[in-house]
Amino acid sequence: MASIIDIKEECALHVRDFEFTYKGAESPSLKKITMPIAKHSITALIGPSGCGKTTLLRSFNRMHDLYPGNSYAGEIEFEGRNILGPKEDLIHLRTKIGMIFQKPTAFPMSIFDNVAYGLRLQGIKNKTELKDRVEKALQDAAIWKEVGDRLKNDANGLSGGQQQRLCIARAIAVEPEVLLFDEPTSALDPISTQGIERLVIELKERVSIIIVTHNMQQAARVSDYTGFMYLGELIELGETEKLFVTPKEKLTQEYITGKFG
Amino acid sequence: MTAVQKRVVINKIALALSTISALIALGFLFWILGVLVMKGVSALNWNIFIFEGAPPGYDESGLKHALVGQAILIGMATAIGVPVGILAGTYLSEYGKNSKLAHTIRDISDIMMSAPSIVIGAFVYAVVVMPMGHFSAWAGAIALGIIMIPIILRTTDDMLQLVPGELREAAFALGAPKYKVILSVVYRGAKAGILTGVLLGIARVGGETAPLLFTSFNDNFFTTNLNEAMPSLTVTMFNYATSPYEDWQQLGWAAAFILSMFILGLNILGRVILFAGKKRK
Amino acid sequence: MIDKIFFNFTRFSALLILIIVAWIFTVLFNHSLEAMNTFGLDFITKDEWAPNLDKFGTQAAILGSIISTFLAMLLAVPVAIGVAIFLSEIAHPKIKGLFGVSVELLAAIPSVIYGMWGLFFFVPIIRDIFGGLGIGLLAAGIILAIMILPFMAAVTRDAMNTTPDILKESAYALGGTQWDVIKDIIIPYAKAGIIGSLILALGRAIGETMAVTFVMGNVHHVPKSILDPTTSIPVTLANEFTEADSSLYFSSLFGLALTLLIMSFVVIAIAKFYFLRKARRA
Ligand SMILES: Nc1ncnc2c1ncn2[C@@H]1O[C@H](COP(=O)(O)OP(=O)(O)OP(=O)(O)O)[C@@H](O)[C@H]1O
Ligand SMILES: [Mg+2]
Repeated sequence: MASIIDIKEECALHVRDFEFTYKGAESPSLKKITMPIAKHSITALIGPSGCGKTTLLRSFNRMHDLYPGNSYAGEIEFEGRNILGPKEDLIHLRTKIGMIFQKPTAFPMSIFDNVAYGLRLQGIKNKTELKDRVEKALQDAAIWKEVGDRLKNDANGLSGGQQQRLCIARAIAVEPEVLLFDEPTSALDPISTQGIERLVIELKERVSIIIVTHNMQQAARVSDYTGFMYLGELIELGETEKLFVTPKEKLTQEYITGKFG
Repeated sequence: MTAVQKRVVINKIALALSTISALIALGFLFWILGVLVMKGVSALNWNIFIFEGAPPGYDESGLKHALVGQAILIGMATAIGVPVGILAGTYLSEYGKNSKLAHTIRDISDIMMSAPSIVIGAFVYAVVVMPMGHFSAWAGAIALGIIMIPIILRTTDDMLQLVPGELREAAFALGAPKYKVILSVVYRGAKAGILTGVLLGIARVGGETAPLLFTSFNDNFFTTNLNEAMPSLTVTMFNYATSPYEDWQQLGWAAAFILSMFILGLNILGRVILFAGKKRK
Repeated sequence: MIDKIFFNFTRFSALLILIIVAWIFTVLFNHSLEAMNTFGLDFITKDEWAPNLDKFGTQAAILGSIISTFLAMLLAVPVAIGVAIFLSEIAHPKIKGLFGVSVELLAAIPSVIYGMWGLFFFVPIIRDIFGGLGIGLLAAGIILAIMILPFMAAVTRDAMNTTPDILKESAYALGGTQWDVIKDIIIPYAKAGIIGSLILALGRAIGETMAVTFVMGNVHHVPKSILDPTTSIPVTLANEFTEADSSLYFSSLFGLALTLLIMSFVVIAIAKFYFLRKARRA
C-alpha cells in the first residue's frame, strides 16, 4: 500500500523490511519499512507526533543499543553491509553516521574542546592538525566568525543557535558520510532556524542528510526527498516537490493539507 | 594498537574496575548483613520478649525492658518531632515560600539534619539532665525529637510544594479560609508523602544510640517511669555487646537484629506508600 | 481568627528550628567557657588528658577525628565513585533498581551495628595481619569507610544521574565508549554535585560515634602509627560523659562537643551551600 519511489542515484543507506520494537512493547514501533536514502541529498521525515520518526532516525546510528532490551529486524544497508548485524562496530559506525539532537548539547568544556572531541577520540593528538580541523569545521558550520576569537571560552556561554551550530561543527569535524538531524530547530528562534537551514543545504555537498521535522514548510524548503510516516509505517517516499504537490497516497494528502496531525 | 582500539581496552578496564568496586562494597555489606542475621536469628527466642534484663549467667533474661523502653522513647520523640516538623514545614511551604526567612530556616534545618547526634545529646544533658539532676526518659525523647524535626520539616515542605496550586485556588475560590484550605485540601493532597516522611523520620531516630547515652541513659530493668533512666534497644545493645559475657553479647545481637528489621521495615513501608501514592495519580 | 492562630503556630514551629540551633551553640559555648578560660589554646594544642590531675588537652581527640575521617574518605571515595558509576551507567536496569534500593536501605542500618560488626569480626583480622591490638585508627577508618559507603554511593549516584541523557547520547554519537562518556561528560557535568555529595558524607563521618566507639581504643595520645589506639571527639564524649566528676571535666567535654559541632557545621555548610547549590543551578 505504501508508495516508495525508486531512487536512481546512488544510495547512502538502504532500509529494507525494517522493524523496530522497544523493550517490553507489545507491537513494533516501526513496521516493515523499506526506504532508500539518496547520497548527497537531503531526505526529510515528516508525520504526526509519535509516528516513529525519531525511532527510525536513531536506528541509523544504533542509538537504541544504549538501552538494553530493544530489538531490530530486517536490514539497513550502509557501505555494502547490514549495520544491524551483531558484529557491527558501533564506534566506527557512529563516526561515519553523525547525529544532531533536538536541543543543543554543548559538552561541559571549551568551544575548542567541544569540536576537537570527536577528533581526539579518533586519536588525533597533533596540535596543529587539531587546530586546523577545528577551524575548518567551525567555518563549515558558519560559526567561525562568531567564536573564532574565543575558542577557550566555555561552550555553554553561547546562545542556543550558536550552540546548535557548534554541535554541527562537532559532528562534521570527524567527516562523517551521513548526518542525522532530529528536529534541529525546534528549540530555536526563527533567525537561528534560518541559519541552520541554510547550513544544512550547504552541507549536502559533502554528506548525506536525513532530517526529522515537524514543520512541513521546513521540509519543503530544505529537502530533496520527503518521507511521510504514520503509525510506524512509511506511507510515502517521494521527491519533495512532487510529494507536497501531488501526493500519491490519500493519507499523505490529508496530512499535508492539515486534516489531522 | 590504534587509538580507537586503545580506548576500547581502557573502557573495558575502567568498567571492570567499577564493577569490582561494586562487588567489594556488596561483599562487605552482605558480610555485615549476614553476621547480623546469623547472630541475631540464632539468639532469638521467646524469652527475649518475656523477661527483662538479668545478671549474666541467668537463663531468664530478655529484652522486654529495652523493647518497651525503645517504644516509649520513640513514641515520645514522635509526639515532639512530628507536630513541630509538620507545622514548620507548613509554614515554609504555605506562608514563607521564597522569603529570606524561609530560606534561612531551610538551610539551617538542612545542616541540622546531618549534624552529629551526640552533640544533641550533650545539649540535652545540659538543659534537661543537669537541672533535673538525673537521667530520664524525657531527656532521651527530647534529644530524639530534636533530631527528628529537620527530617519531618524537610519532607513536609517538599511534599506540600508538590501539591498543585490550582487545588488551593479552587478551594480559596469557594471562600474557605487559608487554614481550612491547608488542613482539608493541601494536607490531603500530600498525605502519602508526609506519612512517608514520618516513617523515615521514625526509622532514622530509632537507630540512634549516641544521643541517648547520657540522656535516657540505660537501665537493665523494666520501667515505665518517665522521670527515670529508661532502657533502649540501642544503648542496651551497645552495653551488652561490649560486655565480656557470652550470653549478654548474644542478647546484644538479638537486639541488633530486631531493631534492624524494624528500621528496614519502616523504610520499605515508606517507599511502598510513596510509590503507591504516585501510581494513583 | 483561627487563621491567625494557625499561622502563628506554624511560624513559631519554623522559628523553633532557629531557636534550637542558637540555643545549642549558646549552651555548649557557656558550658565550655571554664575549660577555655583555664587552658586557653592548650585546650586544643596539648594531648595530655588527665582527669585525676584536672588537665584536659584535646589534641589527640581532635587529631583522631580528623585522621580517622581522612582515612575513611581515602578508602571510601574511590569505591563509592566506582559503585556510583556501576549503579548509574553499567548495571542492567533491573540490577540498578534492586542494588540501588539495597544501597539506600543499608544506609539506614543503625551505625552501632557497624560498630559491633567491626569489633567482633574486623578487628581480629587487623590484629592477625598487623599484630598489636587491632583496635586503633586503622580499624576506625576502615569501619567508618564501610559505614558511610552506602550513603556516599547513593548521593554520588544521584549527582551523576542529573546528567541529561541527550548529552551522554551526543558523546556516544561521536563514537565515545562508555568510559569516555563517564569521564568526559558525566563527571565534568556533575562535578559540583559529586564533590558536594562526597563532602556531605565527610560531614557525617566526622560526627559518627557508634561505628567507631568500640574500635578506637579511647586512649588520649596522639598515635605514632595508624595501628595505635587513640580517640576521637565523639568517642571521648560517648565514653566519658557519664564518668565526668568535676566541673572542669564536664566543661572540657562540652568544649569538645562544641568543637565537633563547629567542624561538622562548617563541612556540611561547604557541601550544601557551595557545591550542591552550584550543582543545582547548573
Ligand atoms: N523509549 C521508549 N520506549 C517505549 N516506547 C517508546 C519509546 N520512545 C518512543 N516510544 C514509542 O514509539 C513510538 C514512536 O515514537 P517516536 O519518538 O519515534 O515518535 P516521533 O515521530 O519522533 O514523535 P515526535 O514528533 O513527537 O517526536 C511512539 O508510540 C512512542 O510512544
Ligand atoms: Mg521525535
